[in-house]
Amino acid sequence: MMKALVVDDSKAIRNMLARILVRNGFEVLQAEGGFEALNLLEGEDTDLDLMCVDFNMPEMNGLELLAEMRDQPRFDDLPVMMVTTETHVEFITSALACGANEYVMKPFTEDMIADKLRVLGLLPY
Amino acid sequence: MDQNEREQMNEDIRQFLIESNENLVTLDDEIVKLEKTPENKKLISSVFRTIHTIKGTCGFFGYDRLSGTAHITENILSQVRAGQRKLTPPLISLVLEAVDKIKMLLISIETTGGEGEVDCAELIGRLEQAHLDLHWPAEETPVAAPAAVKTRAKAKTDAAPSASLRMTEAAAGVAEAAPRMTEVVAIREEPVAEVALKSASAPAPVMVAKAEAPEPAAAPERRRPEAANSIDSTIRVDVGLLDKLMNLVGELVLARNQLLQDTSSQSATLQKTSQRLNLITSELQEGVMKTRMQPIGVVWNKMPRIVRDLAQQCGKQIRIEMIGADTELDKTIIEAIKDPLTHIVRNSCDHGVELPAIREGKDKDAEGRLLLRAYHEGGVVNIEIADDGAGIDPAKMKAKAIEKGLITEEQAAQMGDRAARELIFAPGFSTAEKITSISGRGVGMDVVKTNIEKIGGNVEILAGEPCGTTIRIRIPLTLAIIPGLIVALTSEPGGRVKEERFVVPQANLLELVRLEGAKIAERIKSLHGTPIFHYRGKLLPLVYLRKVLGKSAAPDDRDVVSIVVLHAEGRQIALVVDTIHDTQEIVVKPLGRQLKGLECYLGGTIMGDGLPALILDVAGVARLASLQGRTGVGQEAERGRMQQVDAPTQMLLLFRAGSFHRLAVPLPMVARLEKVPTARVERAAGQAVLHYRGDILSLVPLAQVLDPGCAHDAFAPEIMEVIVFTDGVRRIGVVVDEIVDIVDEAIAVRRGCTAPGLLGSAVIGGKVTDLLDLHAIVSASGDQWSTAQDDTVVLREVA
Repeated sequence: MMKALVVDDSKAIRNMLARILVRNGFEVLQAEGGFEALNLLEGEDTDLDLMCVDFNMPEMNGLELLAEMRDQPRFDDLPVMMVTTETHVEFITSALACGANEYVMKPFTEDMIADKLRVLGLLPY
Repeated sequence: MDQNEREQMNEDIRQFLIESNENLVTLDDEIVKLEKTPENKKLISSVFRTIHTIKGTCGFFGYDRLSGTAHITENILSQVRAGQRKLTPPLISLVLEAVDKIKMLLISIETTGGEGEVDCAELIGRLEQAHLDLHWPAEETPVAAPAAVKTRAKAKTDAAPSASLRMTEAAAGVAEAAPRMTEVVAIREEPVAEVALKSASAPAPVMVAKAEAPEPAAAPERRRPEAANSIDSTIRVDVGLLDKLMNLVGELVLARNQLLQDTSSQSATLQKTSQRLNLITSELQEGVMKTRMQPIGVVWNKMPRIVRDLAQQCGKQIRIEMIGADTELDKTIIEAIKDPLTHIVRNSCDHGVELPAIREGKDKDAEGRLLLRAYHEGGVVNIEIADDGAGIDPAKMKAKAIEKGLITEEQAAQMGDRAARELIFAPGFSTAEKITSISGRGVGMDVVKTNIEKIGGNVEILAGEPCGTTIRIRIPLTLAIIPGLIVALTSEPGGRVKEERFVVPQANLLELVRLEGAKIAERIKSLHGTPIFHYRGKLLPLVYLRKVLGKSAAPDDRDVVSIVVLHAEGRQIALVVDTIHDTQEIVVKPLGRQLKGLECYLGGTIMGDGLPALILDVAGVARLASLQGRTGVGQEAERGRMQQVDAPTQMLLLFRAGSFHRLAVPLPMVARLEKVPTARVERAAGQAVLHYRGDILSLVPLAQVLDPGCAHDAFAPEIMEVIVFTDGVRRIGVVVDEIVDIVDEAIAVRRGCTAPGLLGSAVIGGKVTDLLDLHAIVSASGDQWSTAQDDTVVLREVA
């Protein structure tokens, strides 16, 4: 079974995203911020297939988390999907520049997510 | 959408509401702080993020108006964050308005499930306008531009053409206040605040400030580890569950008490176990009590916003400071003081702090200061609301009270400054020259007082004109479990001794007195039906619990009298009971609807043996007793008293001497009343004296001192009445013909009485009565008391 980590400070968003992922065959871990996510990745032997990261979070925002992860080679192949409300092109480009593989806008639908998962090669077309 | 999905969606919405409400609690505070420190990037980001999250999430549920409002507000904040525009006071007002709208929408969603009737179009229009124009509002805003800000910026108006530039200067000026605010916040950051529990119940979410929420400007590096901690070490608990736990612990305490009582004669092991149970129960009780504690900061959080808005509306500058925001109180109490506290703060801003121009004229800082302070003291929490404004002018208060018909001019003339200031608590009192929408119509302060008294607290005014006003609220830590003294009335129906127990709250207790044998007659005197107890050089009204509760009278021939000396509402009473047991922690249970109306009970409890006992409301008992004691007073006087409810009453001793048929002296000044056989009077140095308690007591025949020409012989009757006064060292006995009565009344003294030895006259008990000038009497007896002596001063003030 594929494993995903959802990082978002809003539990409502985490739950919604998690449900969609579960329906698409994922086992889902959750973290409510960058620090917790890093601790989680550090602490156990997690072999993740996907990470969904919110952009705007207290303490450590999504881009900072991304930058932190991309410093560690073991996460090189982990696909990261940014989940954001930011509509400006600059944000999207800077997220991709930081090493995000995909992005999805809030409010998202199940179809939108599934679409992105296909792009990432995590779901068959 | 199937049933399951719909349920999930509802759950998501509930989660969204909880999160949003939690974030919004601190948002007001943050925005207000941002006004003072507009450069604080962290604060801007935090405000931005809150709005952003709401916008992001509500999109899922199709809340278009909420999303629209949040979206445009976010855009404006994003301009601020990017440094494209400054946060001017009008802009902040606009953002706060948007936050209010968002709150309204959330409430509507929470209660009705939809956005309801909340209209956002007009506000969104204004927000859009502001978003498009970086220099909004263009020029001279008619509404919000506060006079306060203008005075700050007046130095360089010509050099500052645009409104926003001018505002920047002003903001920089205001920023001086920032370091102080930080200090205050630092206190709240301590872990204690983090323990506060958050409610997860949807209909009434209790909002608790997250410890990390109010952003400290000076200590950002401290944030990370702490915030991480707070996530790990706190948990949300439903308030209903806590209440249930509290109740269960209450029951456990009762069961423990029962067990302790039963095991006193049992085996050693059982005793050991029960003692252990005792300890654990006590600790558990304490622990559960603590979970119900919330820092007072929960209520104070709202104040900066309120003060800020008020200051803007009135054109004042007010800085708010908080000390002891982490002081914890029981949740029920926190809830109960929320409104009274808000009202007092509003009053201080509206009536207390002056306009900047007036303040500068008084050599004060143009910016007023409002200090909220909370601290523990004994078993109570003190909350002070202090401003450095104009203070309360007693003369003005009196004039207003007379105008409103609350007091008469005579009453005003004899009213002390303190009493005059307390007039603010009188129903229907308002000193504002014009009624403003802010402080309402003066119906507030009396409600504030009653509400606080309802939870066992009291309010007083500490300082006065000209250095501002401090209002102090004292409230108990918790209401649920209190220490109390168990007292009892016994009866013997059919030879079997039956005991009925009552609880006296420890907070009301002063002293326990047991009188035996001859002491009873010595210390308890009956004066025209009013029993009086000699207590530490004072005379206290004696109240028989039996009589107050309408029980059959106890047999008079008792050889032991148990007295509980109590205080409530600023007066003391001596309560006679049959038996005094020990003190216990008791669990206060509310009385049922049928018993609620009874004035003399506060609640009920269940004792160790499983039987119920009622908790006495000491103030109620005192009121009831004094009503019963007043049956002899004429109706006219009673009505008069009803009108003077707010004037302070005092106990007066009425007596007769020679041609002076009605004389009075305040009862607290009287040390003792004695009936002495005239045969015991001796002469020393030409004066009548009495061998009295191992000392020589000078006797003053009052009638002769007051009217030296009269032929009255005070020593003619076989038994004479002597009123003993003392200054603590010396004593003097004033010989009178008869003690007439003791009354509890508010009096208005008329001066202009020429007779030496009299202070003036007053209407007492419906009749004109002369007031004795004790000082003059003492001088006339050839003795001299120190003028600084307390009792004399009291007498002067009375007159």
